[in-house]
Amino acid sequence: MSFYEVQNLHFSYNEKVILKGIDVCIKEGSIVSLLGANGTGKSTLMKLFLGLLHPSSGEVILKGKALQHYSIKERASHISYVPQSTHVAFAFCALDIVLMGRIAFESWFKRASEADVILARSAMERLGILHLEKRTFQTLSGGEKQLVLIARSLAQGAKILVMDEPVSGLDYGNQLRLLETIITLSKEGYTFLKSTHFPEHALMLGGYTYALKDGYVLAHGDTTTILTEQLINELYNTNVMLKQTLCGYPVCIPAFVNTK
Amino acid sequence: MKNSFLFGLIVVSLGASMLISLALGRYEIELGTLWQLLVWKVLNLGSAPHDVTLLSNIVFNIRLPRILAVVLVGAALSVSGGAFQAMFVNPLVSPGILGVLAGASFGAALGIMISNSWLGVQFFAFLFGFIAVLAALGVAKIYGRSGAQTILLVLGGVISSSLFSALLSVVKFVADPYNKLPTIVYWLMGSFSAVDMKTLASVALPLFISTIILSLMGKYLNILSLGDDDAKALGVRVTWVRNSAILLATLLSTLTVVVAGMIGWVGLIIPHIARFLVGADNRILLPMCALLGATFLVIVDTLCRTSMSIEIPIGIATSLIGIPIFVFALRNAKKGFV
Repeated sequence: MSFYEVQNLHFSYNEKVILKGIDVCIKEGSIVSLLGANGTGKSTLMKLFLGLLHPSSGEVILKGKALQHYSIKERASHISYVPQSTHVAFAFCALDIVLMGRIAFESWFKRASEADVILARSAMERLGILHLEKRTFQTLSGGEKQLVLIARSLAQGAKILVMDEPVSGLDYGNQLRLLETIITLSKEGYTFLKSTHFPEHALMLGGYTYALKDGYVLAHGDTTTILTEQLINELYNTNVMLKQTLCGYPVCIPAFVNTK
Repeated sequence: MKNSFLFGLIVVSLGASMLISLALGRYEIELGTLWQLLVWKVLNLGSAPHDVTLLSNIVFNIRLPRILAVVLVGAALSVSGGAFQAMFVNPLVSPGILGVLAGASFGAALGIMISNSWLGVQFFAFLFGFIAVLAALGVAKIYGRSGAQTILLVLGGVISSSLFSALLSVVKFVADPYNKLPTIVYWLMGSFSAVDMKTLASVALPLFISTIILSLMGKYLNILSLGDDDAKALGVRVTWVRNSAILLATLLSTLTVVVAGMIGWVGLIIPHIARFLVGADNRILLPMCALLGATFLVIVDTLCRTSMSIEIPIGIATSLIGIPIFVFALRNAKKGFV
């Protein structure tokens, strides 16, 4: 039985066709990277996977059942969303943000229960950010914010995390730490669907890659086998070289596209 | 801890200002006598004060309904303002954002022009308050598929407000200038002087219940402030929550116009002051808005009816007091929308 997939998915946005027949199949516990240039529909595809948008045709299927047949609460118990950056207008402390992951499972008008607080704090502890619980979200660094949002997903209880460019805006060290967190969580059975602008990050994470171009899947397969120089250059219209390293995965060596 | 103390303090101030307001007026009552009367009447203890019929008439038939109405209206305006500010994630939003006040004012003016009873005026105010908000929602709905709901709602509100303001001008222009026009103008300045037991009885329950429900929606409004996608992915029915909040806030705002005409600024500044006191978490902010708004309006209304020989329209007073406070609040807001 399929775990989480879309078949022949079409989507248009105000008559502009964005996705033209996409098949994506995600195995439980895997890390799936979406690659593609700006505007190729990565974010749209993820929103469709999350059920935030509805496909023009085709279906998103989770555990053998179409996503639209799940109630919003059931859906939230399976899938969670880690946005690129959450704009938090109000001064909430980190624990409040993590507790928001429990909102669908709390009863109306009641404050968060003791059990929910324990769940939220243990999610923060797992990611090593329990010391931040009383800090105001806005005062956290980019990396800390991302970890708080991941903790929110863990508190939500969902085993599938959909991440929109999780490392964008993070400094170099935090990028690597975040990728490591993803690997650790995936070993514990979490499934990741993430978009990224960095082919190298997909290579570091391994797993599976879907390369999108012009609304189609250009290529897909195990990241290390399909992500070749030709594919990267075709996707981004660039001029990079891939070099195998001693770490076990290749790295991109960029070159200027136009100037020498 | 700090918050419980603040809540206690505000509750005590509200009680105290209500008591003082009951005592003050053209016929001033000693606080001791008032206390004796209240204890005797409500708890059936002690003895009746002198002139008990006159005193009960003033306190229970004239001042009490008015003060209760002021409390409810103050709380209603502040909570709906606070809820809208949270929903639109914008500190400059007031309860009138979706056109409800413009619509209700137009309705009231139309009612004054074509009907002779207060009931008719109140009915028209209520009706057009809702129509204006529906118009705003309708405009937002036309473009509603493209996702950015809040900005479309604001746009719809601007359009609806302008439309009903224009219609209000039409009514003013054609209204009888000797008889009807002054009534319309005076109504638009806001006043509690027409409130009696009957008005209070018909609006008290919906005002009270909606204020309570809206105050308790804080945690959902918190989630809404993260943005629609985030909130939906967390399992919140965004449209449903937003529409319920809009419905409740509209009900509250129209009822305030029904009771007391246009009272500006309360719904804008009280949430700012409340946010300054307890922070921006709507679970705490909204109940604080209710208490603070009620206290503020009781004080202002008492000043309005006692400080001069004629009564000052409360809408004018709230604007005159509100504007300097708002300027101060904006200075504070430069540090960020806490």
